[in-house]
Amino acid sequence: MLGRRVIFGVLGLAVLGVLCLRPHWRLSVSPSTQRVFDTIAALDSGAVVMISFDHEAASLPEVGPLGEAIVNHCLRRGVAVIGLALFSEGTAVGYELLAHRATALGRREGIDWLYLGYRPQYTAAILGMGENIREVFATDYAGRPIDATPLGHRVHNYSDVALVVSIADGSMATYWVEYAGVRYHARIVAALSAVMVTSYIPYLEAGQLAGLVAGFRGAAEYEQLLEQPGAGSRGMAAQTVAHALVAVLVVIGNIEAWSLRRRRRTVAGNHG
Amino acid sequence: MTALLTLAIYSFLAGDNPVYKFAEHLLVGLSLGYSLVITVKSVLVPQAVSPLAQGDWPVLIPVILGGAMFLRFSPRLRGWSQIPLALVIGAGAGASIPAMLQARVLRQMGATISGSATLDGAVILVGVATTLSYFVFSREQTRLWGRGTLIGRYFMMVFFGATFAYTIMSRMALLIGRVEFLLGAWLGWL
Repeated sequence: MLGRRVIFGVLGLAVLGVLCLRPHWRLSVSPSTQRVFDTIAALDSGAVVMISFDHEAASLPEVGPLGEAIVNHCLRRGVAVIGLALFSEGTAVGYELLAHRATALGRREGIDWLYLGYRPQYTAAILGMGENIREVFATDYAGRPIDATPLGHRVHNYSDVALVVSIADGSMATYWVEYAGVRYHARIVAALSAVMVTSYIPYLEAGQLAGLVAGFRGAAEYEQLLEQPGAGSRGMAAQTVAHALVAVLVVIGNIEAWSLRRRRRTVAGNHG
Repeated sequence: MTALLTLAIYSFLAGDNPVYKFAEHLLVGLSLGYSLVITVKSVLVPQAVSPLAQGDWPVLIPVILGGAMFLRFSPRLRGWSQIPLALVIGAGAGASIPAMLQARVLRQMGATISGSATLDGAVILVGVATTLSYFVFSREQTRLWGRGTLIGRYFMMVFFGATFAYTIMSRMALLIGRVEFLLGAWLGWL
């Protein structure tokens, strides 16, 4: 019988080996990722995208590459980005990502991007921004009145926002659909950790989400479309090998369980 | 520091130990402390303290209501905490129920029915109907009805299987992220 420590060890070595070898595999892009890419690619230069960092710091290895790919795409296209967080732990993570990418691409704060910071009570925050963003965020993350910035001055509510992207590791994107989507007809894209995908597919199929991109796979696909390999592409090869290994371990476990059951039946038969 | 704490968390794989416990408690404490600081800095100071300092007295109403929430720790004044609680629940229900009904029920029903002309849509319609039938506990699951509920169970198993696979995918991504950090940013091997 394989001990759990052996399984952890084999899995760890497999991930380690693939990360060291760095194989580059070309992926087929899923229609949902393509849809997100096309939606952002079709936006006019100067349009505004609102990106909400609705995740905990612990999910960063998975949702970080997704956020980076989407922020890169928006900034490269000349689309203005307004960042915010409805999860306290996403606040600094979102600001760092946005500020870092914007600086690298030569985008100016207050004109090409703006970070609003964190607000608790997501229901009130999402509904409030549908009426007037400055009633929820009177100032940006640095404490400047948002009307004092050219980007903040021209955005009043969701009618001035071409797309809302919720980068989430939980159910926060559904609240964007329910409050911003249903009530204010905002277009919503969900960028999720893989564990949430099955819960969101009905929203995508019903047209309540403009697009959905998830996990390492989604990040790797997006990076491929951007022709800018990053953490998603690097991690995808390791994830593929780890998945194959898990599948093999599941088969081994089932064979072992089946043979154990057979042996027990044989022993019971001999005693009977 | 980050690398050592990562290793401390992974030491749990060898069994529960004091190093893991220390890292776990540190994580919980830091998360809570960070949330508290960010809430005070981003919400309490700009939305309550600064307006009050400038003489914006109507802000006192939500401040008093918010403070009243803490009265539930006093056995004598507990009743007063129910006023802000009732307001929060009432406003929350008023905002949520119509939105959820629209997004989770009506739009989903509409999409399920309108898409049923295609093969995919028909499969989804059968899946929804048979899965819902499984949860009708007032009727015995025998004969034709029982076969329908059995199909519903298979649909649920497919859903659970897919969700479990995605969960493994997520957890593996977290492992890869940490291993990449240890090999790259810490050891400089990548």
